[in-house]
Formats: sequence, C-alpha cells, structure tokens
Amino acid sequence: MTTTDRTPDRAADADAAHPITRPDAQVHFGVFFQGVNHTTIWSDPESGSQTDFASFERVARTAERGLFDAFFLGEGLRLRESRGRLHDLDVVGRPDAITQLAALAAVTERIGLVATQNTTYNDPVDLARRLASLDVLSGGRAAWNVVTTDNAWTGENFRRGGYLDHARRYDRAEQVLATARRIWDAWPQGPDGRVARVEAHGDLVDVTIDPTTPRSPQGHPVIFQAGDSPQGRDFAARSADVIFSRHGSVLADALEFAADIRARAVAAGRPEDDVKVFPGTAIVVGDTPAEAEEKARWVARQQVTPATALHVVGTIWGEDLDGYDPDGPLPAHDPAVAELGGEGGSSTTGARTHEVAARWRALAEAEGLSIRDLVIRVSGERGFVGTPSAVADRLVQFVRTGAVDGFNLSPWLVPSGLDDVVDRVVPELQERGAYRTAYAGTTLREHLGLRAVARRAGTGAAGAREAALARV
Amino acid sequence: MTVPPLLTALDVDGAGAHPAAAALFGLAPADLVSGARLARAVRHAEHAGLTFVTFADAASPSVPGDPAQARLDAVTRAAFVARTTTAIGLVPEVPTTYPEPFHVATQLASLDLAASGRAGWLAAVTPGDAAPAAYGRAPVADLGREARDVVQVVRDLWDSWEDDAVIRDVATGRYVDRDRIHRVDFAGESFSVVGPLITPRPPQGQPVVLARAGDVAGPGRDGERLVDVVLVGGSGAAEARAAARAVVDGDPGARAVVEVQVVLHAAGRSGADRLAELDAGAAGPWAAGAALRHVGTPAGLVALLAELADDPAVAGVRLLAAELDADLPVLARDVLPALRADRRTAAPRGGATLRDHLGLTRPENRFAGAARATA
Repeated sequence: MTTTDRTPDRAADADAAHPITRPDAQVHFGVFFQGVNHTTIWSDPESGSQTDFASFERVARTAERGLFDAFFLGEGLRLRESRGRLHDLDVVGRPDAITQLAALAAVTERIGLVATQNTTYNDPVDLARRLASLDVLSGGRAAWNVVTTDNAWTGENFRRGGYLDHARRYDRAEQVLATARRIWDAWPQGPDGRVARVEAHGDLVDVTIDPTTPRSPQGHPVIFQAGDSPQGRDFAARSADVIFSRHGSVLADALEFAADIRARAVAAGRPEDDVKVFPGTAIVVGDTPAEAEEKARWVARQQVTPATALHVVGTIWGEDLDGYDPDGPLPAHDPAVAELGGEGGSSTTGARTHEVAARWRALAEAEGLSIRDLVIRVSGERGFVGTPSAVADRLVQFVRTGAVDGFNLSPWLVPSGLDDVVDRVVPELQERGAYRTAYAGTTLREHLGLRAVARRAGTGAAGAREAALARV
Repeated sequence: MTVPPLLTALDVDGAGAHPAAAALFGLAPADLVSGARLARAVRHAEHAGLTFVTFADAASPSVPGDPAQARLDAVTRAAFVARTTTAIGLVPEVPTTYPEPFHVATQLASLDLAASGRAGWLAAVTPGDAAPAAYGRAPVADLGREARDVVQVVRDLWDSWEDDAVIRDVATGRYVDRDRIHRVDFAGESFSVVGPLITPRPPQGQPVVLARAGDVAGPGRDGERLVDVVLVGGSGAAEARAAARAVVDGDPGARAVVEVQVVLHAAGRSGADRLAELDAGAAGPWAAGAALRHVGTPAGLVALLAELADDPAVAGVRLLAAELDADLPVLARDVLPALRADRRTAAPRGGATLRDHLGLTRPENRFAGAARATA
C-alpha cells in the first residue's frame, strides 16, 4: 500500500514543458504477474484460475505476441497474515518462480523470464545454479529480481531462521550477488580451459564451490532490483541492470526518480544510462476518454472491495474494523500502535500509523470520502487511463523525456488483462515509430539494450569491488 | 500372468550414466546441457513408452574443474520438459542434506502443477565435504535422519493446503477458506518449519517420493510411509529380486524398482567393446554400485527385464544407459517393443498422473478437518 495520490492526469499540460531529450527512444514493456495483492481482481467472471499453468502461459504468450521484453513473477516466502490470521481477501498461493519460468521457457521463444528471489532465505550456491540453469535452458532469457527480507517471521520457514538484522539485509544481498556473479564467471572461455573454483568467505556468505553450469548466450542472468529505500537505490545503482520502481505514472515524479538513479550510478562509477528504469504501472483504455475513465473507476472498485477497504484501514489502525461501514467515515479514535511491525508480510512495515491516520483523515474530510473511497484514493497511482492513442502519446512522452526506459505492466485480470495493451496500445506505439515491430535479438539483455557482460572479477572498478566484496 | 506391467524408467542426465560419456560426447558443454537436447531426449523416452524419466543431479561435480561435468539443476530441467511432454513421469533428484526443505517442497509442488500431476522426487543424500563447504555449513553426521526429517516436512507442507482451500466466495470477498490452510509446525532434529506452504496442494496431493534403499531412515511420524518407491540393486538378478522382496515384505504398499546399468550392442559395436572404450576414457572402470548391469545384446536385456517383470516383488526398473545417444535408440527400437508385445510393460497414458501409473492412490490430506492454520 502506497499513499500516493490517485490524481488524474491534470498535470499533463504542465508536463508538456519537459524537454524531449531522447527523440528516438523506444517504449519497452514487461508484464508483472502480480498474484497475491489486491491489484488482481479474482472475483470477476472473466478471471481465470490463479494457479493453473494455463493462466500463466496465456499471459506470457500474449506478452510475447506484443513483443514485450519480459514476463515477471513475484515471490513471497510465507503466506500473508493480518493480526495473526491468514489474509484471505486477495489471491493466496503461487508457484515457485524459477520452476514456473522453466516450464514457460519451453512454450515461449523470445520473451525474458524474470524470477524474484530472496537473498536472505536462499543459499547463494542454489540461487546461482538455478538461475543459470533457467538462463541456459531458455537460451539467455533469464533475469533475477533481487529482493531481501528482514523479518524473523518469514525466517520461521527456514533452516537459518530470522537471523539477519534489517540494516544488514543489503550487505548480505551484495555478498550473495557478488558470489553468484563469480560462480557464473567461473566457466572457461576457451575450449580447453578449466572451471575455476569459487571461494567466497564474507561475514554473511561462506562458499567453496566447483561450479557446473555453463554460461548462457547472454553471459549472466539480467539483474533487476525493486527496493525504493536509499539503501535499495544505492544497491541498484552499484549492482543492478534494471530498477523496478513505483515512480511510473506521474511524469515529474518519474523524472526525479530517474535523475536520482542516474546520479547514484555515476557515483558508483558507471555510465549514467547503465541502469534501466522500469516502473510498475497499469494501463486502462477505452474508445473515448469518458469510457476509459468509467472503466478505471470500475477497476478501482473491483480491486478495493468493501472487505479490502476495511482491511487496509484496519492494518493502520491495528484492529479489526469488521463492524464498521465501508461507505461510512474513518474511525474517530487514533490507532492503538505507533509503528507497524514486520509480522504478516505486509508492505506497511514500519509505517508510522499516527501520521498516516492524520493524513488520511484530512484527505477524507477535505474531499468527503468514505473508508472505501479513501482507500481507492490512496491505493497507489492509477497508471495511464485514456484512449489507446492518448495513452500511447503519454507513454512516448515518458520515454523520450528520459523519465523511464520502459514499463512493467500489472494486468488486473488474469489471464485476459493484457489483451487491450497488446491489441490496441502496441499498434499505436508502432505507428509512432516508438515500439519494435519484431524482436531484434534473442536474449533478454539484447531486448533491454544492455551492454554485454564483461568478465567482471578483476576487471574495472566495479569488478574489483565485487571481487573484494565476495572475498572479505 | 496377473503381475502388473513393469514400470520402466530411464535417467536422462547429460550424455549418459557412464562417467566418461560426456568427455566422449564430442560437443561443447553448453550443447550437452541445452534445452533443445534435453527436450529431444525426454520426448524420445516418452515415444519409446517409458513410464518416467529421472534427472540425476549433484551440486558438486565428480571431477572438479572439468567442463565435461556440466550439469543444470534437476528441478529446473524437469520443469522445462513439463509442457513438451504429456504422459511420461518427471522425477528430478533433489538432495535432502543441505537445501532448504521449504524450497524443495515449493519447487516440487510447482513442478507437479506445471506437469499436471506427473512429478516425482528422487530424495537423495549427499555424503562428503564438498556440499557442506558449498553451503557454508557443518557436515551433517546422520544423513538418514536428516533425510527422514526433510521428507516428512515436505510431505506435511504438501498437505498444508486442503484441496478445496480456494473458495473464491464473491459474496464475502474471501479468496480462500483460512480454516482449510494449515501450519505444519514441524520441529526436526536440526531445523524447524512453521508453514503453510506458499503453493496450493499439487494435483497428485503428494508427488511420488523415490529413494535408494537405506537412504531415508524410516518410517515417518506415526509410522507414515515416507518413500513410495525404493530403488534396489544387487550383484545379479536373483539378488536384486531378493532385495525387492525385502522391500515389499517390510511394507506391502511400497514399490521396489531395480536399477540396471545398460551398455547395449549398438551401431555394429558390441556392448563389451563400447564399455571398454568408455572405461578407457575414464579414471577407472565404471563402478556398478548397487545396480545390476547388462552389457550385451538387446535380446539379452529383454530376457533380464522379463525375468524381473515376472517377479511380483519387482514393480519396475530404472535404466542407467551408459550413453544416451547410443543406447536410447536401441532401447526404443529393440527392447521396449518386445516387452510391450508380451504385455510385460505398458506405455503411460496421456492425462494420467504418475501415481496412476505406479498404482498409488491419491492420498488423503493429513490436516483435513484439523484446526486452522493460524488460530
């Protein structure tokens, strides 16, 4: 749950002032198969199984028909809970990402396959080997979205338990990633070489391994990173190929984020365009602007059901609001707990509840919003809403002002939710010369326009730092 | 005969089961492990009428530094062929000793979902010092006990969702019935897992669990059978049949599968000549281990398999072909059709589960009706 205003594109006129800095830039798309949060509308008759392989295959094939760069799966290592009880209002349950993507690799040809994998509760040798396996089997289409977890609650499912302090989660992530890259680099380049033994003895990683996985046509799996904290941004600027942000629907906000990432990349000794910016967003199209607006309102109300609205507010208030009217006002009293803990797997971890409550109350009073209206209002950016032509113009503007390199789209319906984008928006973009008409390359690295993987260990500043990180 | 058809399995790892097969393979390691080659081999096995394929694995190579030891992760390989096949069972080898049991349970449940109920698990143990060094952990002393705990918790996790947990009740806005999803609260000797699994119960309820005889100390909690299919061998057919008999005498519900190394007369060269050439390319002769071995003609192998098929204690065979590219075509052309003609084997049916082919019923859920996941 973010607390960004769901304001329509009133700022569009102001946005016209931003200069076009990349007149030939192309729009790129990925698709984020959301699963377990209220973005996915499971209650609609058109909504298919959220578990069957056929649903995943349909979405991936549609995205490939639309010449998307990548198909993206999330991960969660414990089912979400709310005040000690399983959260039952959203989609629950999903497959292991790498296993599912390996099956999808055999029924797709070009699209990239991105697996979210946690560095806190995975062993680096397992991660490196499984990701390399997917990369080889898919012919160089694999990527790893690197995420961390800092709560012992998730750790209760694992041998190592919840041992890692919040402040050290990115330390471990960097050591795991550096070790994985050395494992991927261990394969000999020439026909007569030997596979190098990899030894990494950091304070959070202890590995001695003779790797068995050859390199894929793209060298290494592509690295995505999705953290938005200063620590996460720095980690992406140092170590990732792509950053998956939430800053993708309001142009000024997206430009500010992109500038920040470029500055951090340069500070880390990389070219400023070395980290591609791929925010998550959504697209709602209609034949007329009014029809698109109406559809967007419908989507929001399907996503935020009365039960979900009470749940979201109840999470901040720290209590069960089942007795409240979702079409009535917010609770009159203040939240009981000042800061939310990590139990439950909620994205509100660490939220200062009194600040959020005060902000929400002010907004609700100013605009006369009920609980449900308010939750819809604050449920993240609503993305791009309009006719296919108008949406295409906006997407091109985002890319050509340098705000983003592409968009990671979340369909609200599975498996049919991408059809409108592929059938109606992609052709508009192609007419504008702003979208590929065929895949030019075969690997994900080529789709994204990333530079080739250098043999990192011992080469260049970045390579030397990584080698040092993995050796400490 | 009233004996059920003999189950036939084949390992499809790399160039073949002989340690020198990869070195003699003659292609780059990247081609040896490519998706195209893997899909071709498994499709060939399915067309040949084999019941299931296994994917041998080990995180550490047997010869460190040798690129001919190239090998990809077994679950990932099995998943890759889940949608390029429709009938054959897919059984990756996954160690129990160091990997996280929660991940193992999730991965195998996901494989079963992708393969529409055709997944199995060859639960292996990992002796030696290489794996603990790779995982940065102290060596596990009691491999059998660790294997028992891991198989137990994986089975618990597969049952942590009841089959009908997803209710999609639009009226109340509830996607699942939380009373039908359960914590497992497993506490073993060296680890604990709370659960529930993040993946719904797989199509077979429990994918089929295989293990080499003696690897998994059993039984499980309350006498539960942890291993459905026990791999046995012996120095000869009589000894292997006795080992199979011992398995089913101990547990009539278990299946005994005899492992057989195979070097066939192929492409005008005798099995013995081929084996001699392979052994010369390796550090030493091919170790038989616990497996039987047939080096010779297809007819000789048909006779051996017929003898095993006619023993009610033997449920099946797992063939370890010295070189896949040489031996699989001969198996497909000269061995399996002869057994099928005698009704000693049957090809797997599309749409059936691996459990169906092994004559194993779909298990009840151990948690059905129990208290809910999170009180």
